[in-house]
Amino acid sequence: MSNINRKKWIPWVMVLPVLLIRLFTTVYPIGMTFRNSLFSIKLLSGINKFVGMRNYVDVFKDDKVIASLTFTVIFVFFSMFFHIILGIGLALILNMKFKGRRFLRTIVLIPWAMPSVVIGIAARWAFNNDYGLINDLIRRFVPTFNYSWLIHTSSARFAVIAMDLWKDLPFFAILILSGMQFISFEIYEAARVDGANGFQSFCRITLPLIAKHVATLCIPFTIWRMTSFDIVYSMTSGGPGEDTSLIAYRISMEAFTNLNVGYASCLAVMLFIVMAIFSFLNIRVSRRFSE
Amino acid sequence: MTKYKVYRACKFMGKWILVLMVAFVILFPIFWIFISSITPETELFTKPINYLPLHPTLASYKYLIENVGLFRKIGNTLIIVGSTIVFSTVFCLMAAYGFARFRSKGISLAFGFIIVTMLIPEIVTARPLYEFMRKVKLYDTYLGLIILYISSVIPFTVLVLKNFVTEIPISLEEAAAIDGATFLQRFFMVVLPLMRPAVATVCIINFISSLNNFFTPLYYSNNIQVLSVSIVMIPLKDNNYGLPWDLISAMGWIILLPIIIFVAIFEQQIMDGIMAGGVKA
Repeated sequence: MSNINRKKWIPWVMVLPVLLIRLFTTVYPIGMTFRNSLFSIKLLSGINKFVGMRNYVDVFKDDKVIASLTFTVIFVFFSMFFHIILGIGLALILNMKFKGRRFLRTIVLIPWAMPSVVIGIAARWAFNNDYGLINDLIRRFVPTFNYSWLIHTSSARFAVIAMDLWKDLPFFAILILSGMQFISFEIYEAARVDGANGFQSFCRITLPLIAKHVATLCIPFTIWRMTSFDIVYSMTSGGPGEDTSLIAYRISMEAFTNLNVGYASCLAVMLFIVMAIFSFLNIRVSRRFSE
Repeated sequence: MTKYKVYRACKFMGKWILVLMVAFVILFPIFWIFISSITPETELFTKPINYLPLHPTLASYKYLIENVGLFRKIGNTLIIVGSTIVFSTVFCLMAAYGFARFRSKGISLAFGFIIVTMLIPEIVTARPLYEFMRKVKLYDTYLGLIILYISSVIPFTVLVLKNFVTEIPISLEEAAAIDGATFLQRFFMVVLPLMRPAVATVCIINFISSLNNFFTPLYYSNNIQVLSVSIVMIPLKDNNYGLPWDLISAMGWIILLPIIIFVAIFEQQIMDGIMAGGVKA
């Protein structure tokens, strides 16, 4: 394109450090993960032998893995469902005109900037029956309330999803907001002149215009949900039982605690394939929408 | 007319109730963490929670400094995050220029590769990378951690900076070239000064995401502890409450305070950065 940068080797020198770092932290380990997934490697008992596809068959007979997969699907589905509903709501609030709008937009960034692990460990205590924040607030209205959230499966799952929303919903809302700001004010004016009320102009103008934008956002957010790790690690440690162990947490347990490396690699490969499909979708969808 | 006034009043009230609810849901838990950190242990484990402690104390912070080595952890965090930002910015600026200004099949392929690796989950590469780091003696070293931290911010940084370089008109550089500027002069005197806002944005975002990085220090180091990991490693004091909440809340607040100040100062740049690259901290 330009005739001022002619030497062929210059760009390669410039991109080399970045390229090398990424090659050695992604390509090599992924190759090894694929290889290891065909082996049975149990460091605790010193087993290391080729087993072909056996890991891939065993995975579907493992109750722990099935529990993880179940929760991962529940987690991704409900978290994304509420991301969309509440995210649009929060974006509308952030888009309203009021004194202190800038202040609200600033504090909304705080959960996004906080480490998940801090949120997780604080949530572990916040959902504590005796001394937790949540039950304390409930007891201000229902004095006899008693409930151990993280001991029961459904409430523990609810709590994990709620904390995930607390952290990432503001971020999602800001991204929706950036799409909303492209809608010109005149369209709303025209609708008002024609007698549309606020709800109608939301349904007929805002929603259709941001729908594509929201759909595009959903794919990376879904991918991030599928690989969530920090929050479960610090909040529930996968409990009660295996009921909140997301798949990424399950893999890390197999790889670093049970030292069942081959098996962990097999799970990692399957996660990777699902992610690759979603990433491919991501590229297709964003291409189509940008046309 | 009065009907309209009532409608207006209701609308006004509704708006503020919504705004206050959002602010409460976000700020109250953070306030609770702060209050817990200055509440003495004896008052902390009581029902109901006393949101204004009777005898505020800094005992938890003192305990962290004396028994958990707080300052060393802050030092480690600053060394690692600081070097990450400096080196990642330098490397990514070079790469961004290379990707934006030179076109060949190989270069485009390399750029595509960097972007594709953005979506590879850390957990997929974790175990082999851990073994590799041990083999090359980078496990549990500053250098090893810094390399991995840099790696984790590369895709986002390269993407944002490359898009920014593309927007700088090439004619500026051509003019400089005609005046006899060498390649390095063009890069440092023409392009770099124009990149300042983009560099500030990526530095701010990378600071936050490196500070939040939990996975890397958890699995690739042992003795070098940073703040994000040490919060889950706080030893139980013998208070039998299952979780040393007094210490955890203090540690949590030490992590949160700089982040809150940072967000308050750089709100605009953070917004720009989020919208430019869709980062996940």
